[in-house]
Amino acid sequence: MTVLKQMANYTKRYEQDDNGLRFQDLVYQGNFRGMDPVPDGILGDKVMRQRAKSKVLEKVSRADVLTEQFTIDELNDLNNYLAWNIWDVLVMRATEGVSGMIPRQEYEILAFMHEFYRWPEILQMTTDEVGAEKIIEIGASARREIGTKVNCVHDWCIGAVGFGMGRCGLLALEVIKPQDYIEESNTILKFMQRVLWGKRQDGYILNSQDRYRCQIHEPEILDQLTSQLEQVEDGTEPHENLVRFNAAAELLAFLDHYDCRLGLGDTGPYPRPDGKVLIVRDLFTNEDAYHWSDVCDHENVPYCYTVVLEIDVEKMGLEEIRVNDISTTFTRPKNYIPYITAGAVFVREKWDTPMGEVYPLKISELGERLGGIQQATLKLYSKTARMSRRQLITNGMYIYYIDMILPHLRLAGTYEKACTDLNFWEIDHRVSDYYYDITKRGFAQATVPQKIFSGEGYLPFPDGASTKRSKYFWD
Amino acid sequence: MSVLAEGYNAFETKKTPSGTVKYLPDPKAVLALISSGKLKEHILLVQGGTTTFLTPALSMGAIGVITLSGAPESHLGILSREFQMPCIMTAYLPETETRYVTGGDNDAHFKAMISALDGKSVKLDCTDQEIGRVVTAE
Repeated sequence: MTVLKQMANYTKRYEQDDNGLRFQDLVYQGNFRGMDPVPDGILGDKVMRQRAKSKVLEKVSRADVLTEQFTIDELNDLNNYLAWNIWDVLVMRATEGVSGMIPRQEYEILAFMHEFYRWPEILQMTTDEVGAEKIIEIGASARREIGTKVNCVHDWCIGAVGFGMGRCGLLALEVIKPQDYIEESNTILKFMQRVLWGKRQDGYILNSQDRYRCQIHEPEILDQLTSQLEQVEDGTEPHENLVRFNAAAELLAFLDHYDCRLGLGDTGPYPRPDGKVLIVRDLFTNEDAYHWSDVCDHENVPYCYTVVLEIDVEKMGLEEIRVNDISTTFTRPKNYIPYITAGAVFVREKWDTPMGEVYPLKISELGERLGGIQQATLKLYSKTARMSRRQLITNGMYIYYIDMILPHLRLAGTYEKACTDLNFWEIDHRVSDYYYDITKRGFAQATVPQKIFSGEGYLPFPDGASTKRSKYFWD
Repeated sequence: MSVLAEGYNAFETKKTPSGTVKYLPDPKAVLALISSGKLKEHILLVQGGTTTFLTPALSMGAIGVITLSGAPESHLGILSREFQMPCIMTAYLPETETRYVTGGDNDAHFKAMISALDGKSVKLDCTDQEIGRVVTAE
């Protein structure tokens, strides 16, 4: 049955009593056995916060964020909330099965565990070098820049992936116990909290706490972006050119990042004076940290294309829009593309290109750029198709483990020190050994995904445990 | 016109692409199809809902895709929306009991689906918000 279009009512989602729409039929149980299961979306966020024992999931102050240590209750509340948030944004994606090209589940699981082991030392070194205030400032830099990987998905990954999924994977592999690595968990989560708090500046850390809004850009930045908007109408060549360019650049961003979400970053929705909304989308098409990005260099593909899309929400009949914590926009109705009424594209050539040197492209110039993107895409696919399984898993593992904190280390000026003093680009001996374990008994394909997406694997830290406890006994 | 298969509709669209279903088992098959110049004659059938596998086909203008796993939130679902290429995900045969199970042993289900769809002349109906339908072409 075709659903008739209705009037836009998405702003109702921002009223305090509104519980939002359900985007899926599944529900979440996690560590709350014996209690009602938790749904997705705005209602799920409310339930999870009601069940918290501490105030860490409410708006927190700068002083709270600068505190060095979470309590055990705070750590457990963050653990539970991140576990639900992971389920909320990924449980349906996780039905996608094997890639047929890149063994993603295998590289993801190795990376999770590697991050949990190795990041605490690197993140603590970074905090020691620059101070906690600077970590907050690194987060805040995203408010003034486009084409920056200090964005929702990277910041979220520090805690959700490095801590949440990493600890979950190691617990599932039975190489750690719930009382292990509490101090290291605190280090990862404090770093995440400081970056995210600095970015949002409203007291929250996650978009799901703010009804899936990520309206972080300062007005001056938005003015610069909107000054370059060109009107486009569905069914016309300019609209077609903009849509094709956005899709092709997004495809290359996915491929350059081995089919993971680190290559794209949405912020918004930003309301316009006439009722339309803006989505600002960074598409990272050439990450120079990866050796396989040489094909992008050869086609003069820049580090990032930023695509600004203006959407006529009234014409669309928009009921809900979520810019989720992995930087992806989902709407109801699902198809927002025909309702794009204006667009602009910007280029950031390198990760450290000053904002003053970021330049706009006319929609009429996109065709030439599209050719370079398509050539780089075909070359990268051909190159990737020739790689061995081991190469693909190793490369993919590095994308997660390196890229998720690379932007923060670069801005802190500690990336080189992490490489030279702390062997950032080496693989920990334990994780190297796990390579041979993860394919046994369905560990990568079934066990860990089940633990992660049911929420059963995020075991709480024991009450009364020391917040300074590391791991002292290997059995 | 009868419904051969149903699945999640990645996004609502009035586009109704039609063609012969072609199952693509590996990247070599994807590249061979691109080289043949016949990409736009086919509705592509793939096992996974990830996007890298089909990258060249998406880039060169594939007209429609059926997957045997995945959802609109999967990367291929997101990219199909951005390309405005109709995509029906986690397809199943309405008259049978077998369904895809995440993390399960789906070999028999996949074989049955490929056998039922590969080579068939079909059209994709993606007008509904939730359900996409693979129908016999007129």
